[in-house]
Amino acid sequence: MAAITDFDMYDIDIYSEHGQLRRPLAWSLGLHVAFTAFVVLYAVFVNGIRGTGWGSGGGGDAMGATLVSSVPLPANPTETQNVLATESKGLSKSQPTVQEKEPEAIPIPDKNAKKVKPAPVKSATQRKAQPEPEESNQIPYGEGGPVSGPYTMTAGGAKGGFGFTGSGGDFGSRYAWYVQAVQRKVTENWLKYEVDPRITEGSRVYLTFDIGRDGHPSNIQVEQPSNVPSLNQSALRALQRIDTFGPLPQDYSGSKVSVEFWFDYKR
Amino acid sequence: MRNSVRPVRRHILIAATLLLLLAATSSAQDWIRTGTGLGVERVRLAASDFKPSTADANNAPLLKTFNDVLWNDLDNAGIFDLVSKSFYQLQEPGQPSEVNFSAWSSPPPNASMLAFGNLGAAAGKVTVQGWLYDVKNEKSPQVLGKQYTDNATSDAVRVIAHRFADEIIFRLGGGIAGIAETKIYFVSKRTGSKEIWMMDYDGANQQQVTHLGTISLSPRISPDGSRLAFSSMTKSGWEIMMYSFDLNRMVAFQRFGGMNLSPSWSPEGKIAFSSSRNGYPNIYVVDASGGNSRRLTNDKGPDVAPTWNRKTGSQIAFVSGRTGLPQIYTMEADGTNLQRVTDQGYAVSPNWSPNGQFLTFSWMRKYGPGEPGSNDLYLMDVASKQWLQLTHDAGRNDFPCWSPDGRHIVFQSHRSGTDQIWTMLADGSNVKQLTFKGDNTQPNWSWK
Repeated sequence: MAAITDFDMYDIDIYSEHGQLRRPLAWSLGLHVAFTAFVVLYAVFVNGIRGTGWGSGGGGDAMGATLVSSVPLPANPTETQNVLATESKGLSKSQPTVQEKEPEAIPIPDKNAKKVKPAPVKSATQRKAQPEPEESNQIPYGEGGPVSGPYTMTAGGAKGGFGFTGSGGDFGSRYAWYVQAVQRKVTENWLKYEVDPRITEGSRVYLTFDIGRDGHPSNIQVEQPSNVPSLNQSALRALQRIDTFGPLPQDYSGSKVSVEFWFDYKR
Repeated sequence: MRNSVRPVRRHILIAATLLLLLAATSSAQDWIRTGTGLGVERVRLAASDFKPSTADANNAPLLKTFNDVLWNDLDNAGIFDLVSKSFYQLQEPGQPSEVNFSAWSSPPPNASMLAFGNLGAAAGKVTVQGWLYDVKNEKSPQVLGKQYTDNATSDAVRVIAHRFADEIIFRLGGGIAGIAETKIYFVSKRTGSKEIWMMDYDGANQQQVTHLGTISLSPRISPDGSRLAFSSMTKSGWEIMMYSFDLNRMVAFQRFGGMNLSPSWSPEGKIAFSSSRNGYPNIYVVDASGGNSRRLTNDKGPDVAPTWNRKTGSQIAFVSGRTGLPQIYTMEADGTNLQRVTDQGYAVSPNWSPNGQFLTFSWMRKYGPGEPGSNDLYLMDVASKQWLQLTHDAGRNDFPCWSPDGRHIVFQSHRSGTDQIWTMLADGSNVKQLTFKGDNTQPNWSWK
């Protein structure tokens, strides 16, 4: 009996030692994690507040940003200031904040574009050596030489882009200013609150439409819908809202240009 | 017991840590989103000073007027990032052959577009040639080429500069006409009594319209610009009055009796106004001659300050005090489908945007004892009811009115110590004072 008791005692001692170790170990682990969390939090909050966002133009509430961008005004004049400081023309990436967004959103569009696009006519604009969409996304307006399609735009975490097919040839390179005006106008008229607020990301929706000589868009169609119906609707309504893009350039010979415009949505 | 407590503590600790980390990451995303939110770039435009094309002595003052007006118009347009003149070359082009593309399209000017040209006076006439070039595109650079001829006066040159600016804005602004030739009508007390005045959109050419010697308020120009409706104190009370710019005099308009205030034109030329002819101030609609009167609201009100949806002409927004403090309401043009738009405070002076999408109005969001509110201007998306504050900490602001291009808002503000007319871009930026003399209130922008 005595021996058994001894063994029992022995066993208990071992277990209690294990127990005593486990507890500090847990505390140690917990405190380490808490300390790491504190460091991360400190870095995020303090650096976040003093860092990128400090004094930037878009400091208002998110709703405000949506509204302003839908007022027919190119917003946020502060963003363009970097352009002045650019030493060389070309694909200069002067806005680090935009760069940060690149990895999550851009590569997908390019792949899709190639997969989906075999149907439309390969025009001069599409045969051009294409700068990859992510690159053209990064070019501040007016840099990087004449614009050539496909085009992309970004607004409030959402993107769109388009290709031009004019019967008169290389419309995109000859009338880059007109293409930019179309891009700007669609951006202004796309109200992203029309997309279901529960959606955080939707696949790309392609629209096609024609622009007549008077600048009126017609024949607006969803070429390839997104998996989010409300995104399709918002894209359609953006174009329906537009009365005119302004008359086509006077020396352009065709009677209309066809446009393929895509919208990427990411909240 | 100890064993059962320990895992619980550990779980709590881990859960708390995870929560903290989660909060940290989500707030980090918020920062990034607000920082990069807006992505529409402005056109980077260089507007080189025009050069003299003749050796006339009048050239210098005319060129100065022309260059100043053109620069201001382009700067006010709200769609350009104008390249500062300090970056321009010493040799500015007066002819297409003189354009050095690479010098303009590369830094420091780094322009996408270049406006240039020449002006020459000869024998009392002035001829202006102007071009707009896409300097990044040497193969087919010309976007616009125009020639204007008029009398060699400062006023004529101003008009030419306005027209050329409007052409550029029309081309590069997606087919929306520029506003350089629009007018603003307003109430001024600078002669002693409140009369209706008018001026160019940039504050130039201020001139008196009415000489009634009484009190005239709320001028509203008709869509075609030919008639001006306003309310005026007459012997029989407040009545709607009409001034014709075709005849340059007052013309007769129906008298209704009671107090008739705040007329507003629909795109088709109907007039909505507030009338108390049947007791309480309610909204009525009449046609342009004052006939076919129809009552739209029927309550104790008071219902005042109607404004039409300028795109569709099928809706009216107005101010009503039916629940106490004044609030903004909308209804169909036949009086049905009444909806309250503002939910608190003190909201007045609604004005509907040309594209029908927004209302702008003056709002004291917090109103009452202990609430140091101020009249600020707000923009509201009519469909979603989302709003945006346009003015901040700048005195009393009231009577906002949209420009026809939907990019600007003119308003009355007390920020300078007296009531004056100011303009801003529709996002609240680029605020400019237009009037300085006397008290000037209740601006109204022409339709085109």
